[in-house]
Amino acid sequence: MANAASGMAVHDDCKLKFLELKAKRTYRFIVYKIEEQQKQVVVEKLGEPGQSHDDFAASLPVDECRYAIFDFDFVTAENCQKSKIFFVAWSPDTARVRSKMIYASSKDRFKRELDGIQVELQATDPTEMDLDIFKSRAN
Amino acid sequence: MTLAETYACIPSTERGRGILISGDSKSDTILYTNARSVVILDLNNPLKVSIYGEHAYPATVARYSPNGEWIASGDVSGTVRIWGARDDHVLKKEFKVLAGRIDDLQWSDDGMRIVASGDGKGKSLVRAFMWDSGSNVGEFDGHSRRVLSCAIKPTRPFRIVTCGEDFLVNFYEGPPFKFKLSSREHSNFVNCVRYSPDGSKFITVSSDKKGIIYDGKTCEKLGQLSSEDGHKGSIYAVSWSPDGKEVLTVSADKSAKIWEISDSGNGTLKITLTCPGSSGGVDDMLVGCLWQNDHIVTVSLGGTISIFSASDLEKSPFQFSGHMKNISSLSVLRGNSDYILSGSYDGLICKWMMGRGFCGKLQRKQNSQIKCFAAHEVEIITSGFDNTISRISYQDGQVTNEESVGVGNQPNDLSLAPLSPGLLLVTFESGVVFLRGEKVVSTINLGFTVTALAVTPDGTEAIVGGQDGKLRLYSVNGDSLNEEAVLEKHRGAISVIRYSPDLSMFASADLNREAVVWDRASREMKLKNMLYHSARINCLAWSPNSTMVATGSLDTCVIVYEVDKPASTRMTIKGAHLGGVYGLGFADDTHVVSSGEDACIRVWSLTT
Repeated sequence: MANAASGMAVHDDCKLKFLELKAKRTYRFIVYKIEEQQKQVVVEKLGEPGQSHDDFAASLPVDECRYAIFDFDFVTAENCQKSKIFFVAWSPDTARVRSKMIYASSKDRFKRELDGIQVELQATDPTEMDLDIFKSRAN
Repeated sequence: MTLAETYACIPSTERGRGILISGDSKSDTILYTNARSVVILDLNNPLKVSIYGEHAYPATVARYSPNGEWIASGDVSGTVRIWGARDDHVLKKEFKVLAGRIDDLQWSDDGMRIVASGDGKGKSLVRAFMWDSGSNVGEFDGHSRRVLSCAIKPTRPFRIVTCGEDFLVNFYEGPPFKFKLSSREHSNFVNCVRYSPDGSKFITVSSDKKGIIYDGKTCEKLGQLSSEDGHKGSIYAVSWSPDGKEVLTVSADKSAKIWEISDSGNGTLKITLTCPGSSGGVDDMLVGCLWQNDHIVTVSLGGTISIFSASDLEKSPFQFSGHMKNISSLSVLRGNSDYILSGSYDGLICKWMMGRGFCGKLQRKQNSQIKCFAAHEVEIITSGFDNTISRISYQDGQVTNEESVGVGNQPNDLSLAPLSPGLLLVTFESGVVFLRGEKVVSTINLGFTVTALAVTPDGTEAIVGGQDGKLRLYSVNGDSLNEEAVLEKHRGAISVIRYSPDLSMFASADLNREAVVWDRASREMKLKNMLYHSARINCLAWSPNSTMVATGSLDTCVIVYEVDKPASTRMTIKGAHLGGVYGLGFADDTHVVSSGEDACIRVWSLTT
């Protein structure tokens, strides 16, 4: 299953957890990490539906890259409750260049594995992942 | 966050040239330009100002359409923009009219045609076009040099008159407008031409100190402004009274004159107006004028706007002024009455009061440029580009004493310790200079490139920020510094450091658009992730109760954070100042004052 420009495989669990989030709404967010030794993308953290955007922001490390899926609930202008699935490529300025390179080159392949992402977001510092940004991208 | 007050910039003026201001009699507002902004000022309430900043090049002239709905403004690139006069100033159309700068612009009385004149190459010195389609309505040859002014006869049959640097006054009939005749009565630049409101006459004024009146339909010379008691300097602008019987002229001889125009076309002097409070220098030369309703407005070279009352000419005019260039620093002085002091880089320091607006300019011995500025109660310290620090003592709004101290290097930041009397720390590229009173007591070379500085009011602790982004804390011992700690967090050169008023915290900001609030005792970060700006942070201010920090940046935004809440719960003011925010202060716990590149000062209210 090693099949990317950077040679990273995607662990089956990643796709399974994502499908669970999409169909049954069992998680608020999923954080994925690339394990360099095993050359795989694995699930690092899962967020309960009750958790919020702040918990999500807190679960991302300050100086390491990650991929994340966030299920964002909002109310539209016509007063309907909607939700969109965001893919966040977390790549902080303070991370090592090697880390950023690996995550950047594997991102496309990884995204293709997860069918149903509605919005993609790249964040290089906490302000770019702010709730306001989510709200503006949701519309 | 709402805008409470705006202290507008003043019209940009140039020595040797007049400026053309215009207005709308229905709403009683006047229009003038400063750099890229077009300012709409309400004459009855000068604190009510609306600014249009959409020009890509410095704007030169702006004019209301006859129905008061649209404003057409021209800039130095030859572009004319037509936009809505109200609310959001929506753009209607933009035309590239001339190849060079536009010096004058006029609407025809039916609001359908616009004539623009200015600089260009060969043919395109004057152009008249339909306001909505831009199609030409005439050919305008006859001028060989810059056309300084143009006017359209307000009544039928339509005529256009243009005048310029080639000393000629040209007359065109139409539409479609064609050259009819040319008049060479003046012996110097013809600065301004204006039709009377009924279209029967027009008057041209020139740098040869003469004003000549012509018949509006045939362009025959009728008469001229009488030369006894005439102006003794170039006449820069002219304006008719609303009833068409009198004209107002302003001149480089620092006076404005009102003339009565008889039906035969001769002008006799009625009264001479001079502006009180003039210092007698070049700045008092009057360069622009407008007669609107009951208001007679004159603009001086130094940017002072004087509003006289036409019905009561003996009354002293209402005068106000402001800054013409980037206001690089701002300080709020608290005392008996709260003053806001603003310093612009051209050396002008102005005083403002909330609710009143302009309170006065500070008269200084020499107006050297200002790069850094600090003010406290009775003292103002400035530094410029000449390696000296000026200490100005200030009492009741007047400068009482001004001393200049050489520091041997170009200062790039300074900080005052008012409680340790006379102590001033100034940084230059590689170190710090200690000043007590007017003497340099020591110069310490710190070994790294210094970019910012803050010292506690009692003068015991100082923080120096470097180009490498590190903050170094020093304790002050007499005249030397002992390094206590080095704090690393910033990823860009430090631009500003400030202690909180209660001295428990300090905040620092860098060129990488990040700000951090630190706890002073523990030297730990108290509030971080203040990364919401998109360009370098220029200035930083604490609220008097030490609960809020405001940062102003080159990206024109001002962001206010509350120290006890996470950085994401910030309040942002977008587009506070066109070109960047350079000065920031808290007038009180609910009002933020900001100043910027657009030479305006704005007061924002934090309570919604």
